[in-house]
Amino acid sequence: MARGENSDAQSSNVPAAAPSGAAAKPAAAGSARGAEGQSVVRRLQSELMALMMGGDPGVSAFPEGDNIFHWVGTIAGSAGTAYEGTSYRLGLTFTAEYPYKPPKVRFDTPCFHPNVDVHGNICLDILQDKWSSAYDVRTILLSIQSLLGEPNNDSPLNTQAAALWANQEEFRKMVEKIYKPAA
Amino acid sequence: MQLDAAAADGALDSWARFCALTGELLGGRGDLSVGPRFTPVVADLCSRGLATFLRDYFLHSLEETFREKAVKKFWQHFHPYCSSSAVDRIKFCAEEHWPDEILSTALEDICLEKSYQEKCVLVLLHALQSYEDRTPKTKSKAADCSFSLMPRYQLMVSSVLLTTLPLNFPEILNFYFKKKLEELNNVVAGSDDSDQLDNYDLVERSNTSAWHSAMDIDGQETVISESSYLVKNIGKVVRDLRCLGFTSITEDAYSSAIIWLLKSKVYELAGDDYRIPVLGCVKKWIQAVPLRFLHALLTYLGDSVDYENESSGLKSPLASRPNSFPGIGVPSEALVRWHMRLEYFAYETLQDLRIGKLFEIIVDYPESSPAIEDLKLCLEYTGQHSKLVDSFISSLKYRLLTAGASTNDILHQYVSTIKALRTIDPTGVFLEAVGEPIRDYLRGRKDTIKCIVTMLTDGSGGNASGTANAGDNLLEELNRDAENQENVDYDDHTNIDEKQAWLNSESWEPDPVEADPLKGSRIRRKVDILGLMVSIIGSKDQLVNEYRVMLAEKLLNKSDFEIESDIRTLELLKIHFGESSMQKCEIMLNDLIDSKRINSNIKTSLLKSPQSVPGQEEKEMSQDVLDATIISSNFWPPIQTEDLVVPASVDQLLSDYAQRFHQIKTPRKLQWKKNLGTVKLELQFEGRSMQFTVAPVHAAIIMRFQEKSSWTSKALATELGIPLDSLNRRISFWTNKGVLTESAGPDADDRTFTVVDSMSDVNKHITANDRLDEYQMTEEGESSVASVEEQLKKEMTVYEKFIIGMLTNFGSMTLDRIHNTLKMFCMADLSYDKSLQQLQSFLSGLVSDEKLEFRDGAYLLKK
Repeated sequence: MARGENSDAQSSNVPAAAPSGAAAKPAAAGSARGAEGQSVVRRLQSELMALMMGGDPGVSAFPEGDNIFHWVGTIAGSAGTAYEGTSYRLGLTFTAEYPYKPPKVRFDTPCFHPNVDVHGNICLDILQDKWSSAYDVRTILLSIQSLLGEPNNDSPLNTQAAALWANQEEFRKMVEKIYKPAA
Repeated sequence: MQLDAAAADGALDSWARFCALTGELLGGRGDLSVGPRFTPVVADLCSRGLATFLRDYFLHSLEETFREKAVKKFWQHFHPYCSSSAVDRIKFCAEEHWPDEILSTALEDICLEKSYQEKCVLVLLHALQSYEDRTPKTKSKAADCSFSLMPRYQLMVSSVLLTTLPLNFPEILNFYFKKKLEELNNVVAGSDDSDQLDNYDLVERSNTSAWHSAMDIDGQETVISESSYLVKNIGKVVRDLRCLGFTSITEDAYSSAIIWLLKSKVYELAGDDYRIPVLGCVKKWIQAVPLRFLHALLTYLGDSVDYENESSGLKSPLASRPNSFPGIGVPSEALVRWHMRLEYFAYETLQDLRIGKLFEIIVDYPESSPAIEDLKLCLEYTGQHSKLVDSFISSLKYRLLTAGASTNDILHQYVSTIKALRTIDPTGVFLEAVGEPIRDYLRGRKDTIKCIVTMLTDGSGGNASGTANAGDNLLEELNRDAENQENVDYDDHTNIDEKQAWLNSESWEPDPVEADPLKGSRIRRKVDILGLMVSIIGSKDQLVNEYRVMLAEKLLNKSDFEIESDIRTLELLKIHFGESSMQKCEIMLNDLIDSKRINSNIKTSLLKSPQSVPGQEEKEMSQDVLDATIISSNFWPPIQTEDLVVPASVDQLLSDYAQRFHQIKTPRKLQWKKNLGTVKLELQFEGRSMQFTVAPVHAAIIMRFQEKSSWTSKALATELGIPLDSLNRRISFWTNKGVLTESAGPDADDRTFTVVDSMSDVNKHITANDRLDEYQMTEEGESSVASVEEQLKKEMTVYEKFIIGMLTNFGSMTLDRIHNTLKMFCMADLSYDKSLQQLQSFLSGLVSDEKLEFRDGAYLLKK
């Protein structure tokens, strides 16, 4: 069973690469939209500035390549949780409607977690219906960081992980088994 | 056909007689009396149709005899040499007349034999011809035989000799010609020296006319006869050799001997002295010795084709060369060919010699320019520029671009290289190739910019330091540039008319083939030393910035407002780098000019006012002693500040001054940088005084000792408002001078300093430390302006977080990628404007701070 999960997780690496290719479209759309797109770019730039200068420990993100609509994020597992010592890479894709629509966020590093599926999709309320334009990259990353330590086991994407959560020792083993640190 | 017995007998009888007569003819030395008896026999045999047999037999017996009599003997002459070992051969060569005598006797013998045999051949020929004369109608075989007899004989002789040729014979010939040529050379050179000893020195060797006129003077007759005798001898040997069929061997031998002599002549003349041009005298020598020799030789051999005849027919393009050689007259075509061959060889030899030593030549460039000129001419002739580039680059890498060479030396050599190669190749194509490795190397050095700026600015100051020499070069270049600029302006007016444009286009020449088409045409590629220097750094902004810092430092240390030379330098730099980039520097200089004016203005107005409160004069210091440099700090590089509490009397002076300034220049206010500047002070002891020029902090320290003669370091530090360690550093200046003494204080890190009042003590110290003073001061001389590196570091710190941020998310990144990412995402108030080089030096700083790691050409976070 665990073995099957593992290979699934591996295959999830393939689709994970897709958003970066697709990301060019929103960017182009953004620039086409003129003033509106410009304001999104400006907002993202100022968020980047705040993120860099804020220096929150354990969370970081940076636009990838020359496209400010696609960011790469990094979250360090908090101490005292099953994720201590790990570092997860995420992909954040913004749309031209940002910040009125939430960005699409997914794990690029395979993650064993009740609310993360084998493709890296995250089930987090603020990334869906509870989204508010007051949130930003920094708060998203911090929320995901805290989600790692405090999963919502009521609506799991990964039922095995949800079931295993009670046994933290075994859970930690699975986390380590699935985890593949980024190069 | 059927032979009847009688006819056969007759034939046999004739044949036997013919054989006997042949034997007699060939065997009997010098006896040609058989001739008359020979004729009827030959005629008889010919009539019987045996002419070919007869000829073959005759030639065969000639060959036998020749082999027996002459060839063996001939080779025996050379046997001792050929059979000896290599070491012994050298002894042979050392003997004065060695190949000469043997060769001539051997040749004489064999030629004697040969000429006798030729006579024998003629006898047969005569017999055959007389037969033909009698039977003219019949087209007989005898005619063929007589026709081919002589050539066949010649062929026989040379083939016999060549098949028995010992391996060393060409070597011997070579030695012979070498020796003879040397002799000839000495004869000519000797005459030359004796004749021109008085009006002849090394430099004049290139003087053409003097040289040649000397050749025609009467006194030269002996020389000419002597040399012509020599040439005649050689000619005889050559003729003999030719007649034996050694034509090509001989030609090889003497041409290689000539080439060898030419080579040694070039080496002798060129040597390791680069201060005299040698090409001229090499050419002269070619005409004087080898060409005269060849001319004489060719004339003697009768090969020299009459020029008039030749020119009427097809005229070789080569023959259109200058057609009169001194002492030779109109040259034959063969001679012209020889001349060109020898000159080309001389050019090539000299070129190789100079290229091999190009590094040394460029080291003493201005003095060695004759060598450079020579090299230029050689290269124009041979076109082997790429040889120069390759060899020079490798010697640069080996000798200059090493850790041991100082940046100043490299820059100096680079400037010399530019200048030297500019002479050789004005288009700058080869310079580009050669300069690339130097530029790459210099980019890796941290002090390159500083050195370049020093070179730019130092020259004018008449600075006695070592760099002044190199500096002169660049400043001079600036000057020259300025002049060019003016000339160009002038030219522009005349250039307008189309005629000039037409002339310009006509004088267009293509780039050398080696030119890199990507680098644009030569018009854009003007060789400009300053431009090349700037291209090392990458951008002129960095250079200007460095200059600004150095200028600030220099101006702040001035106490006399004398900035004439700096203004001149700035004007020159403005021409080169444009007004706008030098604007800040100009403001700095203007500050100094304004300071001078305001300073005197304030002082005169302040000096008038204190008269209202007389009596205080004694205690208070007069405004006379204070000069202020007032700067507009926005335009100056960041200035190092340090808090310093100056003595009350000085403070009073300063605030009076500042107040006065405010009155004059409202709303501006004066803010003192109390730690900057210089103080001249005089210390008075009992019956003795000492003068010093020190930094304000030193003055503040020593002035405290006016109040009480002993201070603990902690108390003094608090009093002065400076940190304890900085006080300890500064106060050592005074202890070294013997003005203060140090003793243990109340606790471990607290020391007590006391004024040394006794004169004997002071004297003792002074003599001991006199030498040390200057050294101490220079070491103490802390810069008042933040250096470019410090500034850069400060400015780059903002980007550090961005760099860390991107590396966190991307793992490892190359320098280029970091640079581009910063450019892309640092916007608005944090816009990124640094160059790649600046980023690189900042990143290597982070690496040495152990924040980053550099691996496989990429940076990553240190874990």
